[in-house]
Amino acid sequence: MNRATRIPILLSALLLAIGVALAAEEGSMLKADDLKAEPFRDATTVGSLAAGQHVEILDKQGGWFQVKSSAGSGWVRMLSVRRGEARKGSGDAAGLLGLASGRAGTGSVVATTGIRGLSEEDLKAAKYNEAELKKAESYATTRADAQKFAASGKLAARKVEYLPAPGAAK
Amino acid sequence: MNTSMARRIMIALVPAVLLLGAGSAAAAIDLGQELQKALRPKTPDQAGPSRPSSSAGGGIDLGGLFGFSPEEEVAIGRQAAGNLLGAAPLVKDATLQKYVNNVGRWIASQSERPDLTWHFGVIDSNDINAFAAPGGYVFVTKGLYRLLQSESELAGVLAHEIGHVVAKHHLKILQQSRLVDMSSKLVAKTAGENPVIKNLIGNGAEIFSRSLDKNAEYEADRMAVTLAARAGYDPFGLPTVLQDIGHAAKDASGVQLLFKTHPLPDDRLTHLGDAVDGRLDRLQGPTLAQRFYHIRP
Repeated sequence: MNRATRIPILLSALLLAIGVALAAEEGSMLKADDLKAEPFRDATTVGSLAAGQHVEILDKQGGWFQVKSSAGSGWVRMLSVRRGEARKGSGDAAGLLGLASGRAGTGSVVATTGIRGLSEEDLKAAKYNEAELKKAESYATTRADAQKFAASGKLAARKVEYLPAPGAAK
Repeated sequence: MNTSMARRIMIALVPAVLLLGAGSAAAAIDLGQELQKALRPKTPDQAGPSRPSSSAGGGIDLGGLFGFSPEEEVAIGRQAAGNLLGAAPLVKDATLQKYVNNVGRWIASQSERPDLTWHFGVIDSNDINAFAAPGGYVFVTKGLYRLLQSESELAGVLAHEIGHVVAKHHLKILQQSRLVDMSSKLVAKTAGENPVIKNLIGNGAEIFSRSLDKNAEYEADRMAVTLAARAGYDPFGLPTVLQDIGHAAKDASGVQLLFKTHPLPDDRLTHLGDAVDGRLDRLQGPTLAQRFYHIRP
């Protein structure tokens, strides 16, 4: 292989590697949970994930993440996963992933430090602002207008019971 | 004993302690109630709306035992909201403010208090936080809004705050202070600053820096996914935001107050996961990422 052909190959390999790295997001299990074949509670269990176990998040559907892990691939409840866990010793990669996925990671949260905050002291010292309150009130939407807004987004109301507190009688 | 069991026992204990604490004040409350009855006629809404089974109240509707009148609630909310806006004004973007009012009002319409005059706003602060005041005043900081990627995430955040208003979490705390001065008339005038309410809610907007009981936060989270589902959205907007905020270091200044006044995101996710337990699997819905209004840089 001569030098001229090797460079494009190396380049495409590099791009492929970046592509793969950007597509997946890191995560770790907040608690032990089942790995399911499909994103449903009743789906076949294909494996189990331990608390703290590292997962690679490939996709999201409703309340489920499609993940890849040492226990295999499948779907796991998103509420059992802490998203965006950086791989040990690769802080830069985690920052890059955060940027690439369009999600603000630790970096941008820290970046807001020291700009206009809203600390306990700021709140305590606050002085009543009637003019600003009137302005806020002027933006109110009527129930009917909100209904139209929802319809334009194809949102339809549905009946759903409140969730019981965990530990309460199920 | 495993940790999940320990958590459940903790949850069972907290309302019990709350009730014990409230018990000694109960006699005084009854007196206050009598006094209130004597002072003005009872309005239909005084007993409060039908509420979800509450872990924060230990299953007993404390808000119904001794309520503020709807007028008093709005007067308290106005004062608190006016103070908050004194600390951080609205982001100067009418399209943005109108948009959050549309999203918020639609979700509030699915709650047990659909006819409250609801107000929503984005305030000009880079802190990551959201606030609810009695009477239906809900504010999100610009810092938090910027983290959002879809309308369903905004819906989740607003729904958590709507949950606090519907369950009257703040009013229950304020009621305890009111015992000190129960004869005072809260609604002395309709607009402007009210000295009696000012006295009740404390200095400036410090009411927003007080923590609610952590079970009240968990309850608002559970209400939020339910309300978002009722409104037709993907119910998992709030959890997505919590996962984002979970990235932030505990001591990063943008989240200091949020983390001080709320359980940490990981705990909220775990708790919500235990509550959801697959119940929302069949309730998918759009995230409306395309329609989401992105704030100007």
